[in-house]
Amino acid sequence: MTTQPVTVRQAPDQYAKPLLIALLSGCAVALVLGLYGGLHHPTHYALDIAGFSSPLYAKAWLTTAAVVFAVVQLGTGIRISRPDAPHGIATVHRWSGRIAILLTVPVIIHCLYALGFQTYSIRVLIHSVLGCIFYGAFVAKMLSLVNRETMPKWVIPVLGGVVFVSLVGLWATSALWLFTTKGVHG
Amino acid sequence: MSRQGPLLTLGSVVIVAGLFLYGNAVAAKPGGPPAAAAATTTPTPTATATSLPAGATSAPAHALFAGRSSGDQVTVAIAINGKKAAADLNAGLASEVSLQGSVSGDLVSLTSSSGTRLTGSVSGPDMFGTVSGFLGQSFPFSAAQAIVQAVYAGRSSNGELTLAVSTDGNQAVAYVCNGHTIEAWLQGSVKGNQVNLTGSKGASLTGSLTGLAMFGMVTPNTGLSLPFSAELSPHPAGVFQARVAINGLATRIGWAVLPDGTQVGVAVIGSTRQPAPLLDLSDGAFTLDGGSFTAAQVAGNATVVSP
Repeated sequence: MTTQPVTVRQAPDQYAKPLLIALLSGCAVALVLGLYGGLHHPTHYALDIAGFSSPLYAKAWLTTAAVVFAVVQLGTGIRISRPDAPHGIATVHRWSGRIAILLTVPVIIHCLYALGFQTYSIRVLIHSVLGCIFYGAFVAKMLSLVNRETMPKWVIPVLGGVVFVSLVGLWATSALWLFTTKGVHG
Repeated sequence: MSRQGPLLTLGSVVIVAGLFLYGNAVAAKPGGPPAAAAATTTPTPTATATSLPAGATSAPAHALFAGRSSGDQVTVAIAINGKKAAADLNAGLASEVSLQGSVSGDLVSLTSSSGTRLTGSVSGPDMFGTVSGFLGQSFPFSAAQAIVQAVYAGRSSNGELTLAVSTDGNQAVAYVCNGHTIEAWLQGSVKGNQVNLTGSKGASLTGSLTGLAMFGMVTPNTGLSLPFSAELSPHPAGVFQARVAINGLATRIGWAVLPDGTQVGVAVIGSTRQPAPLLDLSDGAFTLDGGSFTAAQVAGNATVVSP
């Protein structure tokens, strides 16, 4: 009689701690990025990436490529846990995600190092906030995946959704804006 | 069951980010070739370049000396402006005498209408001399050159370039531009009446201070040298600068402002140049591409050319 309630109470506890760690880590990453971007004095210069007319276009095309891989992520992510998922879909999902996130790294370093957290217009403010959310959600998702059997079912899809939506938002407030105002070229 | 995959992904992202940050911190430098390093070396003025008698040591063309009598009872202030000099002796309440005089080489000689006489000799940043006939007394004095902050603003001979020079003691910065595509930031020294400034890509400015004006040659980085004149100018004249990020592009904007409020500036957004936005001279505010920013006046001891 006494053991029965204990096992019932243990069920939520099994995932509460890893989930809490993952979410708090994500929040901490987002906060640290925002604070660094806001407090670090922008250098206004950074390494150029060869082959583009300006660092801005290099960043825009890298982000665009990341969004293409993110669309693959969305397509594979919504099918990955179905019983009838095609063979190899998990591999495609993982590697498209790895490539996408690595493509964004040079971009965020340039943003943070050379420009920082800026608020001078609505577009720029949204972009700055989304940048912090994106990496925070990414870290939370990676840490959730480590113990994903113990997570509630909704955690991975929700975090994945936040990562995808914030990346598309980042792309729309930077690369899409650049292409529509300054033209599509290298 | 734990999985290593997500942690490996996370770790590789952190490592790549660290490499890029390290690369930026170590390798990335502001634009411009290493020629900018010349800003720290000052060309020695040749004898023919000076407007003063060869061989004679001379007082600065512009200087303010402040000091005291040997007994510490009288304050002495002497202003030198070209060949003219003026002085003020003050021993407290109602005991003030104004003197007028002239400069010859490193010697100053001044007199007042009441018969007070001051003679002094300039030696580097100091002046030593004697006051006679002040309240019936004669005494020696010493004075030191005060750091003078000044702005000279003007144009090139053909009116194409506008420039402003900001001095602070023996340091000076300048901004010269045509308001569209040509611009240069310059930095250097003021020695005696000679101003020698250099910038990146061979830009330079050499000038002589004579009276209330500066005359010389300015070479923006187009390589074409033009003669210019600039006058000692009150507010709002000055060199103004803003460094901001516009749409993700590092942007540097410079303005040369003349005493009548005329402002000419160039905004370098990324690598493109365009006329600078209108600067509100009362508070330095301006708007560019929908954003509101603030520019600051640049003092003569600021660093405007990257070493």
